[in-house]
Amino acid sequence: MKGTYLGEFQEIVLLTILVLEENAYGVTIQDEIEQKTKRPVSRGALHTALTRLDEKGFITSAYGGATSERGGRRKRYYQVTNLGKSSLQEARSIRDELWSRVPKIAFQS
Amino acid sequence: MSETEISPPKFYNKIFEWFCNQDLYFELQGDLLEEFEVNYHQKGIKTANRIYKKEVLKMLRPSVVKKVKTQGQLNNTAMFRNYTLVAFRNLSRNKLFSAINIIGLAISMAVGLLAITFVSEINSYDKFHENRDHIYRIVNTRTNLGQSPQEYATTSLLTGVWLKENSTVFEKVVPVLNGFNGNIKYGENRFSVRGQLVGEDFLDLFTFPLLYGNSQTALKEPNSVVITENFALRVFSKKDVVGEIIQRGRDQFTITGVMQQPPSVSHIKFDAIASLKTYEAKPSRARFFNDWGTMWSSYVYVQLGANSTIEHGQEILDLLAKQENAKQKAYEIKPGLEALTDIFPGSGKYNQMGTVMPKENVNQIVILALIVLFSACFNYSNLSIAKSLKRAKEIGVRKVAGARKNQLFIQFVSEAVIVSVLSLVIAFFLFQLIKPEFLALNSYTSRTTTLDLLPRTYFYFLGFAILIGFLAGALPAILMTRFKTINILKGVTQIGSNHKLNLRKIMIGIQFTLSMGFVIIVTLTQKQYKHALNFDLGYETEKIINIYWEERDITLIKTAFEKIPGIEGVSASNFQHSTGTLNSDIAKNLEGTDSATVYNNYVDTEYLNNMGHRLLAGENFKAEGPTDQMVINETLLSRFKLGNPNEAIGKQLNFYDKNRTIVGVVKDFHYGTIYNQIRPFAFLWDSERYLYHVNVKVTSNDMPGTLAQVENAWNEIYPEYKLNSSFYSEDIKRTYADLSSSAKTFGMLAMVAICISMLGLLGMAVFTTEARIKELTIRKVLGASLSSLLSLLSKSFLTIFVIAACIAIPSTYYMFKNLILKNIEYTIDIGFWELASGSILIIIIALLTITSQTLKAARSNPAKNLRNA
Repeated sequence: MKGTYLGEFQEIVLLTILVLEENAYGVTIQDEIEQKTKRPVSRGALHTALTRLDEKGFITSAYGGATSERGGRRKRYYQVTNLGKSSLQEARSIRDELWSRVPKIAFQS
Repeated sequence: MSETEISPPKFYNKIFEWFCNQDLYFELQGDLLEEFEVNYHQKGIKTANRIYKKEVLKMLRPSVVKKVKTQGQLNNTAMFRNYTLVAFRNLSRNKLFSAINIIGLAISMAVGLLAITFVSEINSYDKFHENRDHIYRIVNTRTNLGQSPQEYATTSLLTGVWLKENSTVFEKVVPVLNGFNGNIKYGENRFSVRGQLVGEDFLDLFTFPLLYGNSQTALKEPNSVVITENFALRVFSKKDVVGEIIQRGRDQFTITGVMQQPPSVSHIKFDAIASLKTYEAKPSRARFFNDWGTMWSSYVYVQLGANSTIEHGQEILDLLAKQENAKQKAYEIKPGLEALTDIFPGSGKYNQMGTVMPKENVNQIVILALIVLFSACFNYSNLSIAKSLKRAKEIGVRKVAGARKNQLFIQFVSEAVIVSVLSLVIAFFLFQLIKPEFLALNSYTSRTTTLDLLPRTYFYFLGFAILIGFLAGALPAILMTRFKTINILKGVTQIGSNHKLNLRKIMIGIQFTLSMGFVIIVTLTQKQYKHALNFDLGYETEKIINIYWEERDITLIKTAFEKIPGIEGVSASNFQHSTGTLNSDIAKNLEGTDSATVYNNYVDTEYLNNMGHRLLAGENFKAEGPTDQMVINETLLSRFKLGNPNEAIGKQLNFYDKNRTIVGVVKDFHYGTIYNQIRPFAFLWDSERYLYHVNVKVTSNDMPGTLAQVENAWNEIYPEYKLNSSFYSEDIKRTYADLSSSAKTFGMLAMVAICISMLGLLGMAVFTTEARIKELTIRKVLGASLSSLLSLLSKSFLTIFVIAACIAIPSTYYMFKNLILKNIEYTIDIGFWELASGSILIIIIALLTITSQTLKAARSNPAKNLRNA
């Protein structure tokens, strides 16, 4: 199932978009990820991930109004599609299922 | 805070805009800007800039970068194949035009190839030395008291010795003394050798690797010599000859090294270099090393130390000069530094080591080659523009099918490049043909260049051909791409306005101006050369054979020759007049109130008669007379105000430290060349000591027979030496070799220029008649005469020719006066015909070219011409 496979970074991006709700565009997503994961994310890397997600149909985007603070450039707001949501759910359930099967002894050193 | 102050790094902005996919640019750029602004306020400009730069660089990923149009690239190869095909089809369709273009370009490119080979060889001189950028030669500017300063390539050896002892500015100091030329002896055999005596660091300073021997020690000891590979083979027939001993004069030299054959592109040329220590040990040569003024045949090369600059070097030289110049008053020497790479091609200094090609010669050749090349490019452009109408439909169709302007441009330029590469092949053969001629042009080219082709020269050739193709093709390509598709397809015949026509006329005009200019220069130079050979010298040179002999037992030769029948007289002199040699000293009257430079020559008693000098008063030298006899010319007479010729006899002048008595006065004659005015001159009498030239006057009708007898007589006296003889007229010819070589150069270029312009004109004439064939035929049918048709077609060309002649004649006249006649005292009279004949000749040939085409058109069958094909 190559088409719907969700990479780790892509998963984080998807979740971040959901967290940000109405205000998910390039800069906010980047900031949010950097704050939460404590690792630097370049806008270029983020762009690649967004493109992949878009190709898979997990997100949609729409242009917002122009603001003066970005030199008049319009923002592009991202939203997670239902397909995206369900693939997140699926990824989570796979993990949950795996977590539940991990023997407790494994975390006792 | 204003907007502009917080803009991110401009350059990064630019490249981001350049590589970013257009659809994503606004979004991504917006995000980056927003982030930048936040960073700017939180972290300051530096960090914000740094982050921005990093972000931009990280944008370099496939999803962001513009899509490269792979489809377009595939198309390009296909299109290029198509262009080539169309180009060859066009070439074979218009055979005449292709031939004109290719031949014209080939002829001029041959000249271009010559220039390229020549210039690249000249510029590679001395480039093989590893330290070339740090090596300098010390040159002298010497001012003798009361004279103007003169520049010498030489300097005193004292300079070298002093620098070595007193300064650390120069890392290496290498003196070089001319004086290892002549013969060396090995066993019983003699070999001629050319070489110098050099300081011990010579092999360290210059890059001349040794095959055998140690380069550190080879020149340390007196009487050591290092020879070249080729010389070793010549003398010993093997290379490893270290330790062998050769003899030069009274000195014995031990061979301490054999050098890998030095490249021909070295301004220092030698078969052998001996250690200068050999002379240092000899008291008789001390003057070479300790006299500031003895600077005539020695050179000093230096290498600047790592921390020194030229200014440091000059300072230390100035210090030495100040110290030495103060010791005497007769002359002043100002030393300077000349970079190794500036020596060849160089400026006209005296006493250069070997022959140095003057920079002006190189520039001259480049300029002349460029002129010829442009002329040929004009031809191509002209014909292509003329022919462009015929290809209008093709351009239209291509445009409709989606060709862009730059694609059409590439197409037409690549057509021109194909033509020029084809021409290159022919040009290469022509180049091989004219190469020997060029090398023999003058002593500069024959002595310094080989015109051998190196691998890199071939690359230059190819690059050159492509460049020429581009230059020739660019103009027509630009014009053709501008055609309006709609007009072409509507079938409008007159595309473009008249200004293109004028452009063509201007190009033809320039070509003809050049051709006429060259022809006029050739005519004038040739005439000046003839004038120099034939003008009345004031004495006889006909039937005189000169024999050069410096062993001074002239009497023996004279008596032997006088016995030969058919020889009218034999005389002897110090040097030959009218061949460029001059000798002079200051003469004073006995009261010491007047003095002047007087030119002179030593001659024997027979000389004046034998050479047909006309005595105005007094008499010839007498063999039994005193040694202070002197025969003067008229100019000397009037210079010292000695009255009329008869009054002057018996008066005395102080000349060469001796009071000399005037015994005769001769009519003024040209003792010098056409470059010298006649000045005061005196014949001095000598019986043997200074006489090096024997003049034999032959009056027999059997010249070869008499010459053979002369040779026999010589061989009886000196069986071991070859007779060194030549006709006086040959010697004079040799004197004016520079004029004849200019005439030859211009002659060759004139031929090329005329060929090219005539080819171009032929093409234009063919095109015009073809384009106007219907008009001509209708005129003919309506009763126009042949002559009126002729004038109709040639009128516009004729105007161009007349304008060209009007420009060419005065400008060439001016150039000739200022370039060639500048130093010549006895010049030709330039009249109307000398100037106009060349132009008229060219106009006549040109009109014949046009006429031939018009006649062809006018005589053809009207029915055929009017029928639409």
